[in-house]
Amino acid sequence: MLKKKICMVGDFSVGKTSLTQKFVNNVFSEKYLTTIGVKIDTAFINDTKLIVWDVAGRDSLSPINASYLVGANGIVLVCDGTRQSTVRDIKDIWQVVKERIGEVPTVVALNKADLEDWHIDAEQTAYFEEQGWQTFETSAKEGQNVKALFEALVSEIG
Amino acid sequence: MVETNLQQHINQQLFEKLELAYFCVDQSMRVIDASENLESYGYTGVITGANADDCVDFMFGLDAHTELDLPLVESPSGKKVSVSLLPGSTFLTVLISNASVQADQRQLLQQKANENELLVEQQIILMKQLETASEMLEQKNVQLEEASRLQTSFLSGVSHEFRTPLTSIMGYTNLVKQALESASDESSENDKVQHLRAVQRSSKHLLSLVENLLDHGKLDSDEIVVRPKATDLAEIFNDVKLLLKPLSDAKHIDFFVELDFEQPMMVVTDDSRLRQCLINLLGNAIKFTDSGSVRLTAVLSNDFLKVEVSDTGPGISEENLAKIKLPFWQAADTGKTGTGLGLTITERIIELMGGELEISSVLSSGTQVNFEIPAPQLNATLEPIAAVAPSFKQAKILLAEDDYDIADLIVMMLSERGYQVSHVDNGELALNALESQEFDFVLMDIHMPIMTGYDVLAELQAKGNTTPVAIMSASTVESDRAKAEQLGCFDYLIKPVEIDDVIRVMNLALEQ
Ligand SMILES: Nc1nc2c(ncn2[C@@H]2O[C@H](COP(=O)(O)OP(=O)(O)O)[C@@H](O)[C@H]2O)c(=O)[nH]1
Ligand SMILES: [Mg+2]
Repeated sequence: MLKKKICMVGDFSVGKTSLTQKFVNNVFSEKYLTTIGVKIDTAFINDTKLIVWDVAGRDSLSPINASYLVGANGIVLVCDGTRQSTVRDIKDIWQVVKERIGEVPTVVALNKADLEDWHIDAEQTAYFEEQGWQTFETSAKEGQNVKALFEALVSEIG
Repeated sequence: MVETNLQQHINQQLFEKLELAYFCVDQSMRVIDASENLESYGYTGVITGANADDCVDFMFGLDAHTELDLPLVESPSGKKVSVSLLPGSTFLTVLISNASVQADQRQLLQQKANENELLVEQQIILMKQLETASEMLEQKNVQLEEASRLQTSFLSGVSHEFRTPLTSIMGYTNLVKQALESASDESSENDKVQHLRAVQRSSKHLLSLVENLLDHGKLDSDEIVVRPKATDLAEIFNDVKLLLKPLSDAKHIDFFVELDFEQPMMVVTDDSRLRQCLINLLGNAIKFTDSGSVRLTAVLSNDFLKVEVSDTGPGISEENLAKIKLPFWQAADTGKTGTGLGLTITERIIELMGGELEISSVLSSGTQVNFEIPAPQLNATLEPIAAVAPSFKQAKILLAEDDYDIADLIVMMLSERGYQVSHVDNGELALNALESQEFDFVLMDIHMPIMTGYDVLAELQAKGNTTPVAIMSASTVESDRAKAEQLGCFDYLIKPVEIDDVIRVMNLALEQ
């Protein structure tokens, strides 16, 4: 059986856990519960078993723990479309990823697309394009582009 | 050996205390040994010979030679565990220990910290919004102040402009009244007529000021309309001349009027609109000219009327020429009194009449305003209206009007000319009268008690009564006229109505 390890990374509270839960269990909760350490879930896309590492976000207390990334086949970079700082921080986060595991296939989720106060413009996402990352406006709440996000990553991994 | 036993005992206790579990894999990641308590963390099926990553998800992607600490991993049982990968020369040991106490503490701390940070972010955004809001408010405030300043100067301008003709009306009326009251009537009939003419002119002036005000409200809604009809052009110009002469006299400036046509000169144009424009333009010229002259020239050729108003006033700078047609502008910024509406409205009216208002000016030498509008000449001069065709003299007229002053006036003027007029003061009575008697013509107000003019029109239409009805209304709103016309009114006269207009319309109706 084909298996792939995927890591969800990004600032805290951008929706990494929510996207994972929507994808794996098709559930969503408004309540915010900080992820501590890492939670590992599995799901299938066709015959491929995805082992999804929902990693604690980067926050004021701690950087991302890069040990979790070891052996990953692909990365989902997640940011929150209503908080510009989480888009800016992607650059630093990517640096950490690259140092530890090199350049692996990556996609970007601009999450919370269902919310009104969306603050993203082309200038901010230009970096994603430079990197050649497929970018998706997602909503863990409404399910928009969630499946497409993971499918795109799997096909990038090949 | 005792020592070995002790060591084993200690090891055993440590294992239990930390709830330590473990398994070992060979170089190809196959399980070669596993502790029994792995199941208490939910790791099942970890048996010798199994692929590590088939029974333990986190093992996928890892290898046997890399030392790695994976703190706070959520195990299948839901408990947080710490995982340590310890490579040896021939196999890899994976140690798993309970970290739930550490995780719980961390969870509390982290949750608080993150929620705090989110709050701070939110606050920063709110502060920014507050700042923009207060900036906008400040701007609004400035605009409001400006608007209220313009409003105030506008109101004082209105009251000033109205005062001039009102003063003249009151003064001349008083003169006539005194002349009538004094037993020994020294003033000649001719004087009285002159005085009354002055009253009439000033009333027309007042009316054109009111029209300016009303029109201003319509500028945006495209509701200003012009209604051309047969008119004596010379009379308009002479009236305007007599009306404004006192103003130029008061300022000791010359006022020349040059016409290339004689009275009467019948053309088709909207006389009250043309009058309004001329008063506006000449009023401005006289207002701004403190010495020298104001000149009005009018030329009628090939069915076009060319008008020029020129003055020797201070002129208008190029910069101000651009602004001058904006409403309120002069009232607010030149220190002269006035509504500042005249030019805006005049421009619009001229446009509707098929012309264009052109202003040229040289600073400190004067200003010229020109326009040219179609004014098709009529071959036959109209019959003087007072000479009513005798056959109409016996016409029976019904007047429906709830204002007694106006009703009395109309009854008086029509009776004087030989018509038989019956007066009722509401719509219902009008309808009753029309049912019980024959009338040749109805003159009816719109706003009346019990039944409005509209209601009466509707009833008549329903009953198939075809007596011609002319409506008198104070409303210049186009939709009101349209409504009345739809209900079959013969004509729609705007108050104050002139008796000559009433008779003209009536004759038209009676002829049919
Ligand atoms: N409206 C909306 N809220 C979301 C979305 N995704 C996540 N959230 C909320 O954002 C908060 C943080 O989500 P979470 O998944 O815990 O973020 P993580 O820290 O990146 O794992 C939670 O309150 C979620 O309910 C989304 O797509 N739309
Ligand atoms: Mg999370």
